[in-house]
Amino acid sequence: MKKIIFPIAIVATMLLSAFTTINSVSWKIADGYSVKFTSDDPSGVFTSMKGDISFDANDLANSKFNVTIDVNSINMGNGMKNTKAKNADWFDVEKYPTITFTSSSISKSSTGTYEATGTLNMKGVQKQITIPFNFTNNTFTGSFNINRSDYNVGTPGGHASSVLKIDVSVPVTK
Amino acid sequence: MKKTFFHGIISGILAALACIIYFKIYQNTLGTGFNKIINPGSISGACIFGCMLMAIGYWLLEKFNKEKLKGVLNIIIALLSFASILSPISMSLPLDIKNPELFPGLVIPMHFFPALAFFCLVPFFKGKSMTDKVKHSE
Repeated sequence: MKKIIFPIAIVATMLLSAFTTINSVSWKIADGYSVKFTSDDPSGVFTSMKGDISFDANDLANSKFNVTIDVNSINMGNGMKNTKAKNADWFDVEKYPTITFTSSSISKSSTGTYEATGTLNMKGVQKQITIPFNFTNNTFTGSFNINRSDYNVGTPGGHASSVLKIDVSVPVTK
Repeated sequence: MKKTFFHGIISGILAALACIIYFKIYQNTLGTGFNKIINPGSISGACIFGCMLMAIGYWLLEKFNKEKLKGVLNIIIALLSFASILSPISMSLPLDIKNPELFPGLVIPMHFFPALAFFCLVPFFKGKSMTDKVKHSE
């Protein structure tokens, strides 16, 4: 009897610790999220987003974001602008219907905020970016800038601003 | 003056009624929610204001005995109504409003209702012109 107590204890400990890790970091994206882009012109929102979020403030090494935005859900407040944004010069929705961000590492900065470094894939162009964010009251919030010319979105120059500020707010539930 | 006033106010009310009926049908049929941008109150105000402006134009032509220019004024009213459709086409709505591409379809027909109502009622408010009165007295 004594011989099997320790093997059972070892297996039980391993199983319990494994489930603890899985349960502590998975989040579902809840309603009420927003992905806004602002500049002098243009400004708008993406209204459809999905993804897998694994985040634990105490285990950043195993935390990960894999988020996809539906480009067809763009809303700039004007039908003609929405149509123009989807054409080949801008987002080319037929060829590239989604924008994705996949994190490779998450760290905590000296100011107390978090930073997600990963690959942003937009219009077929993949670039590594770092997104600073906060996590409070089960909501991720972050702001960062993107130069649309880096991703071949729109024609360089022109009246449209090159640098757009992106504001993300994503409430989550377990 | 009295006749012109009633022409303006009645055509404004009729245009407002037509606009509100169209507004309700459009919203219910397509499931849009543009109540934040326009509502029956603002529609009525705009229709009555537009028709009163047209009535003032007619009254001025009658006052200065230039009734032959009413045709030109009608063309100007029609052109201004047509030009005014640029406003809803280029307008940017608040970003929380869904399907902004359906907004021009709601508003553009409404821009023609005041002129339509005003022109429809012209025969009912057509009085004798100064020229007719002079001829009649002779």
